[in-house]
Amino acid sequence: MWQRNITIFRKYWKTILFPNFVEPLLYLAALGLGLGAFIQQGGINGQPYVQFVAPGLLASNAMFAASFESTFNTFVKLKIDKIYDAIITTPVNAEDVVGGEYLWAGTRAALYGTAFLAMIVLLGIVFRQPLVTSWWALLLPVMLLAIGIMFSVMGTLFTSLIERIDLYAYYFTLVVTPLFLLSGVFFPVDDFPAPVPQVAWFTPLYHAVNVCRELATGPSVGVLVDVAWILVFTGALALIPVQIMRRRLIG
Amino acid sequence: MTEESTLEARGLKKSYSGFEAVKGVDFKVFGGECFGFLGPNGAGKTTTMKMIYGAVIPTDGELAVAGLDVYHHEREIKRRIGVVPQENNLDDELKVEENLLIYGRYYDLPSKLVLRRAEELLDFMQLSEKAEATVEQLSGGMKRRLLIARALLNDPEIVVLDEPTTGLDPQARHLVWDRLRELTDEGKTLILTTHYMEEAARLCDRLVIMEGGLIIAEGTPGALVDEHVSPQVLEFRTDHRSLEELVPILEAASDAVERTGEESILAYTDDADALLERVRGSGTEIENTLYRQAGLEDVFLRLTGRRLVE
Repeated sequence: MWQRNITIFRKYWKTILFPNFVEPLLYLAALGLGLGAFIQQGGINGQPYVQFVAPGLLASNAMFAASFESTFNTFVKLKIDKIYDAIITTPVNAEDVVGGEYLWAGTRAALYGTAFLAMIVLLGIVFRQPLVTSWWALLLPVMLLAIGIMFSVMGTLFTSLIERIDLYAYYFTLVVTPLFLLSGVFFPVDDFPAPVPQVAWFTPLYHAVNVCRELATGPSVGVLVDVAWILVFTGALALIPVQIMRRRLIG
Repeated sequence: MTEESTLEARGLKKSYSGFEAVKGVDFKVFGGECFGFLGPNGAGKTTTMKMIYGAVIPTDGELAVAGLDVYHHEREIKRRIGVVPQENNLDDELKVEENLLIYGRYYDLPSKLVLRRAEELLDFMQLSEKAEATVEQLSGGMKRRLLIARALLNDPEIVVLDEPTTGLDPQARHLVWDRLRELTDEGKTLILTTHYMEEAARLCDRLVIMEGGLIIAEGTPGALVDEHVSPQVLEFRTDHRSLEELVPILEAASDAVERTGEESILAYTDDADALLERVRGSGTEIENTLYRQAGLEDVFLRLTGRRLVE
């Protein structure tokens, strides 16, 4: 299943990679440098704004990549091209298909994420404003895979329940975008009055952002909590879309 | 000594929230034969096929494919069968040959083997020229042939074909029939559904007639005809009034009569010449007379009062 996806990806990678790549870069430039210039010398908790924002964008990049893959792309495969119907007549059955798709969306997120990470490091060097300051950042590609799988599970869950492609508007407007704006990507949420930080703690991107930020600039032990949260959340949800998809594909 | 059956169903049922698609069917398929399910649309043939290849789980009953029961051994079964589905679910994003290569991977076959088989199968189905074409560029007939090639990648002992030639022009249809016959010659077991009488008569060693979720007849094509209808059929077409006059004459002189429209009627007999003379002798005006051998279509008509293809 994974192999099928990567075969197709190889054909189109340039057109796919480009926008997904450029967009976070634009955000980084506009907000990091633009907005950053307005933020006082102390930056955010001692961190220059650009350095604060970059890992946030990294995490959200992974979220978007995995979310698009597990929503629109999966829906098309499911209902429009009906690829999965053909596949489940082979020994690859519904569980395998979903698992393969999780892994693929995760891989895609990790691929884009790693490319973006490389960019960030490079920019940091070029502009003498280091954005990644820790060797722990080498673990980021692995974490990005995990983050990608996490969002893929979420997206697949939504996909498995809907019948029409236009319903994704709800998913992106009510889930993805709020997460993007309120998970600590652009400004820390920890200092907000209760219950904001508490609510944020229960959302996936918050932890993804924390992991990325910590690994980029030197983690504290607290990062283990975030990693654990991601793993537990993903594990708990993962089987649900499998069951639903299985029922959808098999009468 | 009774032959081991390759596929056996007993009391097989499928219901979808209130609608009973398959109401309890029994059948046995033996190795190396071509077994057919003949019936109109909505008879339950596709649902039965889907239960065989695992796309639908039966509501009740037993079903064993290659000796393995479908409730517990679906993966093993899928390894040994090939499926040509009714709808066209080729992978549009892949080219023709790639479709086969990727599909072969789903069976966990080594890549070299898949490559070799893909080439052989494209050749077998006369698609070698189109190996690098996109799926969109293929005609309907070619897509069907590709689906058949795909179904054979894992060299299955049993091939399930759901309406394999529906929508194909006669030339494409004959090509497919030839290839399918070659497969049975090789010893593969073929299970197919169709609503075309000619296809069933030509290809199938044995068949069942299905209607409304039940099997209403079973046997070889020849035996079914012998059992249920007289061998010869005369079709008379004329104006409504003359037809009314004709009915009692036909009913007296033939084995069975079926009204097929306002202005047409079928009479079954084993002596068409005699019947024809009686009709002519009666002096009723006939516009058109058609003579043919009785076929499965007539068997179906006899058993259900309806035509196979409405």
